[in-house]
Amino acid sequence: MSTKKRARKTVKKTVSFSDDTTLTTHQNRLKKNVDHDRPPVYVRKTPLMTLPYHLIILLYYYIFMSSDYNTVKLLGLLIPAQIGYLVLQFNKCTVYGNKIIKINLSLVLICLGVTFLLSFPAMLLTVLFGAPLMDLLWETWLLSLHFVFLAYPAVYSVFNCDFKVGLWKKYFIFIVVGGWISCVVIPLDWDRDWQNWPIPIVVGGYLGALVGYTISAYI
Amino acid sequence: MDEKEIKKSILSSSNDEKIIYKSRIKKFQKNHKFYIILLIFIAVLQFISIAFFTRGFLLSRHVLDNISTQNETSNPTPRFSKAVILVVDALRFDFAIPVNESNANHNLNYHNNILSMYDSFANDKDASSLLLKFIADPPTTTLQRLKGLTTGSLPTFIDAGSNFDGTVIEEDNLLKQLHLANRTVKFAGDDTWMALFHPFLSNDSFPLESLNVWDLDTVDNGVMDYFHDHLQQDKEWDVMIGHMLGIDHVGHKYGPDHFTMKEKQIQVDQFIDWILKSIDDDTLLVILGDHGMDHTGNHGGDSIDELESTLFLYSKTPNLWKLKNASNYNISDLGNDYRSVRQIDLVSSLSLLLGQPIPFNNLGWPIDEIARNDRESSQFVNLAINQLQLYKDTMQIHHANDEILEPLAKNISNTPLTGNSGKFVELGHEYQRIFLQTCEELWAKFDYYSIFTGIILLAISLVLLISITKLIPSIVVNQMVPEFVPGIIIMVLVANLCFHGIFYVYQQPTFVDQFWGTLLATAIGIIIGCYITIFDRYNFIWIAMRLGETLADYWSRIAVMFMIIHALLFTSNSFTIWEDRIVSFLLSTFGMLTLYEFVFLPKRQSTTALLTATISEKEGTTSGVNSSTANSNYLPLTRFARLLGGYHSVVLIAFTRLASTITICREEQGEYCIPTFNNQNNSAWWVLGLCFLMIFILPACITGYYNLTSSYQAAAPIWINVFLKGILGLNFVYWSLTSLENNNNATIAIPFLKNVSIFKFTLARIIAGFSLIASNVGWLMGPLCIKLNVHNTDVKSHEATILGYTNIYGSEFFLLVINVLMSILLFNKPLAQLSYFLMCNQLLSILEIIDLLKLKENIIGPIALGLLSYQHFFTTGHQATIPSVQWDIGFMLSEKITFPFTHVAIILNTFGPHILVSLSVALLTLWSQPPDVLKPQTLLGRIVSNCGILLIYNTILCLSSFIWVTHFRRHLMVWKIFCPRFIFAALSLIVTQMVVTFGTIAFASGRLIKHINDIFWK
Repeated sequence: MSTKKRARKTVKKTVSFSDDTTLTTHQNRLKKNVDHDRPPVYVRKTPLMTLPYHLIILLYYYIFMSSDYNTVKLLGLLIPAQIGYLVLQFNKCTVYGNKIIKINLSLVLICLGVTFLLSFPAMLLTVLFGAPLMDLLWETWLLSLHFVFLAYPAVYSVFNCDFKVGLWKKYFIFIVVGGWISCVVIPLDWDRDWQNWPIPIVVGGYLGALVGYTISAYI
Repeated sequence: MDEKEIKKSILSSSNDEKIIYKSRIKKFQKNHKFYIILLIFIAVLQFISIAFFTRGFLLSRHVLDNISTQNETSNPTPRFSKAVILVVDALRFDFAIPVNESNANHNLNYHNNILSMYDSFANDKDASSLLLKFIADPPTTTLQRLKGLTTGSLPTFIDAGSNFDGTVIEEDNLLKQLHLANRTVKFAGDDTWMALFHPFLSNDSFPLESLNVWDLDTVDNGVMDYFHDHLQQDKEWDVMIGHMLGIDHVGHKYGPDHFTMKEKQIQVDQFIDWILKSIDDDTLLVILGDHGMDHTGNHGGDSIDELESTLFLYSKTPNLWKLKNASNYNISDLGNDYRSVRQIDLVSSLSLLLGQPIPFNNLGWPIDEIARNDRESSQFVNLAINQLQLYKDTMQIHHANDEILEPLAKNISNTPLTGNSGKFVELGHEYQRIFLQTCEELWAKFDYYSIFTGIILLAISLVLLISITKLIPSIVVNQMVPEFVPGIIIMVLVANLCFHGIFYVYQQPTFVDQFWGTLLATAIGIIIGCYITIFDRYNFIWIAMRLGETLADYWSRIAVMFMIIHALLFTSNSFTIWEDRIVSFLLSTFGMLTLYEFVFLPKRQSTTALLTATISEKEGTTSGVNSSTANSNYLPLTRFARLLGGYHSVVLIAFTRLASTITICREEQGEYCIPTFNNQNNSAWWVLGLCFLMIFILPACITGYYNLTSSYQAAAPIWINVFLKGILGLNFVYWSLTSLENNNNATIAIPFLKNVSIFKFTLARIIAGFSLIASNVGWLMGPLCIKLNVHNTDVKSHEATILGYTNIYGSEFFLLVINVLMSILLFNKPLAQLSYFLMCNQLLSILEIIDLLKLKENIIGPIALGLLSYQHFFTTGHQATIPSVQWDIGFMLSEKITFPFTHVAIILNTFGPHILVSLSVALLTLWSQPPDVLKPQTLLGRIVSNCGILLIYNTILCLSSFIWVTHFRRHLMVWKIFCPRFIFAALSLIVTQMVVTFGTIAFASGRLIKHINDIFWK
């Protein structure tokens, strides 16, 4: 790890993982004035560490190198890359209380399964937003697989802190918003290959995730 | 003590309260009147701005009444003494040529049925027949085509609107020329001809009612009988014209792919075959289509399918035409490469063949094939060129193209007529092509002064609307309305006086005459009148700050984002094309956001809107209502409320997605859209089955929403379970009869019904009469949805509950919405009725969501409803194009066009969702509103504010479409995409204005508020 942990002395083990954040901040405020707005679990503000380099590379590969926007191949690359990102970068930036919990390998695997299953609700959501109802189901499923695996580190973290902290919502939101905005290009009559379903949304999701993982720690 | 006394003791109040009440209701009534007048003034301002813009954008062409005169020396000898012209409406080119069955586009119903013309052409040894593709100029509506076919001139867009009231064509035309040459023209068929040409037609003509598209046979049979009677026996005609409508009507009624089309085409084929045999040797036969039809069977636009029709020239004399190389007449691939001529070319060709002068306004070019040899060819060209040059000189047409045209003209006059005629013809044709192009460009000219006046006035009206309905607090507006009205009236008078004075003394600006000057002065008077009152109390900075404040909370920003996205759709033709999907997408997004809100409940309670709501609500609590109800807005959402809200969001999202599957695709959407709203689905058994289920499910759903506040009492069961269910049942009978007609032959045998059409008319009139008149009169009686529940026998305790008390306003108001819904359902086809079923659920869910999230004062409510109205405009089988208007609905109440019936039917069909939403926007305030929390004026002020937001939404869309259609005025797609969208935007603003001002605020809200306050305060 390049950045040394700054000493955080005062956050005690009394922190409760409660839904009601006001309660915990209130307790924190009693103890310590400086970090009064810091939740019990948070992602450290280290731009270089949380920046998902692999997403930039994957995007570059997808847009410029893969000949026909091969979405399946991209997914094959995304999953290991996301696991690597979680283990090597994301988990190391996540602070639970005042310590960093080591990666839990069995949970990594469980989360892979969960994420896979989550692709079906995600697919439903995509269809509700207006994806084709009957045809192109395979493409829609691919798209939702991309989306859920982009959210994979956040899913792991949600599991890792027992569904208690609302800190991870913004990661999901960023990905969805990225996809939402990228819909703009679909109706345009430019007749480009990359306007085909679901290529623009995939790219949008990646960009959303890129921004989300980079700046979420600051929000 | 009996029940009556208990009632009395619960509802009675002291003397003081009565006095307060009386003064309050008096104040309310006075304010109500002022509000209406103020809104009418704003509506007038907006109508004036729309009128100015429309006048500037849809400029009509200037027409001269000059007439070409006979020129003895140069006129050709007539080749034919007589002519028979048969117009077969909507005869698309591929109907008239053989289509190979292996072709991907081959269709059993409409291909290979009318082959007598092609057979005659293909088996022709002696060049006596000629079949050509015939290209129409858009708009492809019959009236405009007839004008083009007889005058040889170009139409302007605004003519399309006047398709339904043709007046006599004054400019020079073929029939006028024939009339002047004392030739007798007899006519049978479509009565549009009579309207356009009656001074030139023989009294012996036989016009037939044309616009009833349900009637497939009357016109055709009339034409055929007339021809059978007159073609051979009658010698007293020189030109005989027939106009058959059967194929066109089948297209409108069933679409091209229907077995009736085959029957109709075979009938036409046999008729043509008979004419071919029956005419004598010196008669010219001309068979032509005036336009084609698109894949839905409609026309009016400018797609290839609508533009391509057929021209067939025939005579029994041999060696009539000089055919070109055979490769020009290639019928493979539906005749894609077949030689085509323009429709305006027919006039000059016919004039030359019949020995008439070419009409003065003609821009066409004689068809090459009609000249048998070089001598004739150069003679024709000479005549055509002379006419074009005379026209150009008389009209004083000047354009940049003159640089090309003048050398060409010189070149032509220098080229000797004899000898090298090929070059002469070529130069002449070149001249005509460039001249035509010049005219097309010139006539697409705009009046920029009017356009910008319109845009500026509309923008000012938008600012006015925003400041009056949203920025100034409704309590203050309440006090201000009495000042607005006299101010406006005086300023209108003053402005008119000033304007006319200035115009009188100085010169009138060129773009306004007396009438338009008055309109402009009135508009400016209204603006000044409003602003004097506003700036009397406020200044610019305060208003600007207030705008920032209003948009400070999360939901307002979301709403503004939706509004801006929708308005920006007109910046590109692709977005405008896909507006239907985008609107559904935005509505789904709204549903998702509310779902997120209910599931995760982020901390957004302390929004400004909520704050103002609670403050004024506290003020309003004047009587015995317990403070916990009045202040319930302070409390966070309970678990149950969140569950309920989540459920409503899911309903909204799911139904939005479901509704968006019903679509009539735009032609530009191409392969990415499969039309589901077609005649086949509309008369399919499963759709009717769903309609049948809807009779029971729709009332059940509405009952469900009523039961949430236990409002399903007293009047509600009568309205929902009796009226609505009964009307839905009758409606189902009507539409199943219609679909039976569509599925079987036009004459169906139902044993006890001799005449189905009379039965259908009766049924439709009963439904319309009940839902439009009777039920609204019933509503005026004040149907309350409450019940006094005396639940203990101990009479002394004086305890009773009023069921439905919390939603007393909303439940009564929604009964009015049901009335309107019933009438709208009648005028919509089965699939659209299903869409309205979904809409009804979405509407009520939005109301519940807005109520649960305490957003009654927020701008998101009206915006979400506005999005809903646009979504359902598209899912009820409409698009922002002219061919998608469902004209056939106009003939449900009457056989002919009759003033109120046809128009009401079409308006209810096209703007049904807008009307429903404009009415229900008041429900945002009234739904779940207990009676004695808010003062009547406060309630009215809030309703006006919400209505205002809906108007602002529509105004912004209209303004945006104005600006972008002006920006894209030279765009390739302007007449096809942007211009229809601007007309639609203007019309929806007008409809919303009318319904909001007169329906929601003047009629419904005033009546309702007074009525309920009468009961609970007296």
